Amino acid sequence: MDQINLFPLYLSLRVALTATLITIIIGLPTAYYLSRARGRVADFLDTVITLPIVLPPTVLGYYLLVLLGRNSAIGSFLEERFNIMIVFTPTGAVIAATVVSIPFLIKSAKAAFLGIDLNVVNAARVLGRTEFNIFLTIIVPLAWRGIAAGITLGFARALGDFGTTLMVAGSIPNQTMTMPIAIYDALLAGNRDLANVLVFIMTAVSLFVLYTINRLEKRVSKGGAN
Amino acid sequence: MLDVKINKSLGDFHLDVDFQVKKGIVGLLGPSGCGKSLTLQAIAGLLKPDSGRIAIDERVLFDDKKRVNIPTRLRSVGYVFQNYALFPHLTVAENIGYGLAGLSKQEKQQKVRSILETVQLEGLAKRYPNELSGGQQQRVALARTLVTEPDILLLDEPFSALDQHVKKMLELELLEIIKHNFSGVVLFVTHNIEEAYRLCDYICLYDSGSNIQFGEKGEVLTRPVNKAAARIVGCENIYEIDSFEGSLIIVNDLQLKVVGTSITHGKYVGIHNYDITFVPSSSEANTFEFKVRSIVEGIDHSTVTVTVGPLLFKVDVPKATVTQISEGDIMLHLPPEKLFLLGV
Repeated sequence: MDQINLFPLYLSLRVALTATLITIIIGLPTAYYLSRARGRVADFLDTVITLPIVLPPTVLGYYLLVLLGRNSAIGSFLEERFNIMIVFTPTGAVIAATVVSIPFLIKSAKAAFLGIDLNVVNAARVLGRTEFNIFLTIIVPLAWRGIAAGITLGFARALGDFGTTLMVAGSIPNQTMTMPIAIYDALLAGNRDLANVLVFIMTAVSLFVLYTINRLEKRVSKGGAN
Repeated sequence: MLDVKINKSLGDFHLDVDFQVKKGIVGLLGPSGCGKSLTLQAIAGLLKPDSGRIAIDERVLFDDKKRVNIPTRLRSVGYVFQNYALFPHLTVAENIGYGLAGLSKQEKQQKVRSILETVQLEGLAKRYPNELSGGQQQRVALARTLVTEPDILLLDEPFSALDQHVKKMLELELLEIIKHNFSGVVLFVTHNIEEAYRLCDYICLYDSGSNIQFGEKGEVLTRPVNKAAARIVGCENIYEIDSFEGSLIIVNDLQLKVVGTSITHGKYVGIHNYDITFVPSSSEANTFEFKVRSIVEGIDHSTVTVTVGPLLFKVDVPKATVTQISEGDIMLHLPPEKLFLLGV
C-alpha cells in the first residue's frame, strides 16, 4: 500500500477546532442573549439559528455560496478589500463547519442558561460584580454541563460535515479535502483499503476527542454545580 | 435614613410605595404578591420603577426626574434572598469572598475569616452550599452580604425556607448577628405578623401594591388604620358601624363604648381576638350575654367562637380557662380602650 496522505485528517482537525472556537466565542453570548430576551426579534433569531439542524446540507451550502461567493456583495467586498476568498478555500470549510455546528452549542447552552436561578445572578449583581464578570464567574460555571455537551456535539458535527463543506470548499486534494470527503473520494476511486484506514482513523480520533471532553466536563463540574 | 417613593406598573399590578425610615428594623408585612419583594428589588436596582425616587441618606439611587439610576453593583445594598441564592459551585469561603473583589488576597482572607467567626461557621469554610443545613446556608448568605459593609440590609423572607422547629431559634440568632454587626436600616419582608412583631422595631403594612400604614410595631398592632390593615395584623373581629350616638357607636343594635380615639370617624369597629375577655355578670359598658358556637383547641390557647345576637366574635382564651366558659354565668366583655375604629 502507498504511503497514506494524512493531510485530510490534519485539515479536518484544524477546521473542526477553529470552527468550534468560533462557535464558542459567538455562540455563548448569543445563547445567553436568547435565554434572557423576550419578544419577536429573539424568537425569530432563535428560529433562524435552529435552521441548519433541519435544512439539508446541500441547501445550506447553496445559501453560503450565494451569500459569500465571488459575485455576492460580501464575497466581492472581502476579495477586493482584504484579498480573502472563501469559496474553494479552507476558510470556506471553516465557515461551513461553523454554520452547521453552531446551533448545537446555542441550543444546549441556552437550555443550561435558562436553568440558572435568576436570584443567584441577582445576588452576584448586588455583591458588586459587572455583568461580564458575572457571566464568567457564575453563569458559565453553573451552565458548564450544558455548554460542554453543546461543544462536544458541535465539534463532532464540525468534524463530520460532508455536504456543506463540499458545496462551499470543494474537494481539492491537499487544499480543501477534509476527512469525510477523502473517504468518499477513496470509495469512488475503488480504493477500499484507503477508505478502511481513513474510516478507522476518523473513528479513533472522534472517540478520543469525545472521551477527553467528557472527562473534562466531569472534572470541571465537580463541587456541587448543577 | 431610607427614603422610598416609587411607582411601577406590571400588567394589572401597580406598585405604589411611599415611606421613610430613619433607623432600625422595619418589617414589610402583607399577604403574598402585594409588592413587598418588588420594593426590595427596586431598592436594590433589580427592578426599575416607572417613576419616583429612592435615596439612602444623601445618596440618590434612583430619581426619574433627574434621570438617576445607579446600577445595582454600585448601590452598596445588602440583600438576603428568600432561598439564599448561594453560588452552588463555590465554597462557603468563596461565596463570602465574592463581594470583596477589589481587595488583596490577604485582606480578603482576613475579612472572610473574621465574618465566619461572627456567624459561627469557622469550620465550614471549605464546604459547598449543598452540604450545609438551611440555617447554616442562611448565615452564609447573611455573612456574604454583611462582609461587603452595605448601607442598607434587605431580607426577603429569610425564614420561609426553614423548618418550623428551627425557625424561632434562628430568629434570635439572626437578630443578634444583625444588631451587633450592622447599624443601618434593615428591611425585613414577611407575611407573618408574629415574626414581624418579634423581630422588628417598626412595621410597614402592605396591601395590593401599596403601603397602607407605617409605624412603631405596637401602635400598628393596636391601632390599624383600616379594614385591610386590621386583617393583616390578624384581627378577625371587624364590624360595620351603623351609627354614632354621642360617645357610643351602634353596631346591629349593640351599643359600644369606645375610648382613646375620636369616634366620629370610621366605618368599621374592630377588636383583636386576644383582647376580648369573659367577666362575671355585670352591667358595665360593652358587656353582653353570649352563646357559644364552637371551640377550636390550639397549642397555647383555644379560640372560642361566640354569638351576641347576630354578631360573631372570635375570642382567644388560655386553654386552662376554656372549661369555665358557660353561657349565662359569665358575660362577654369588649374593653372600650381595646376597640379601634377603622376607615374603609
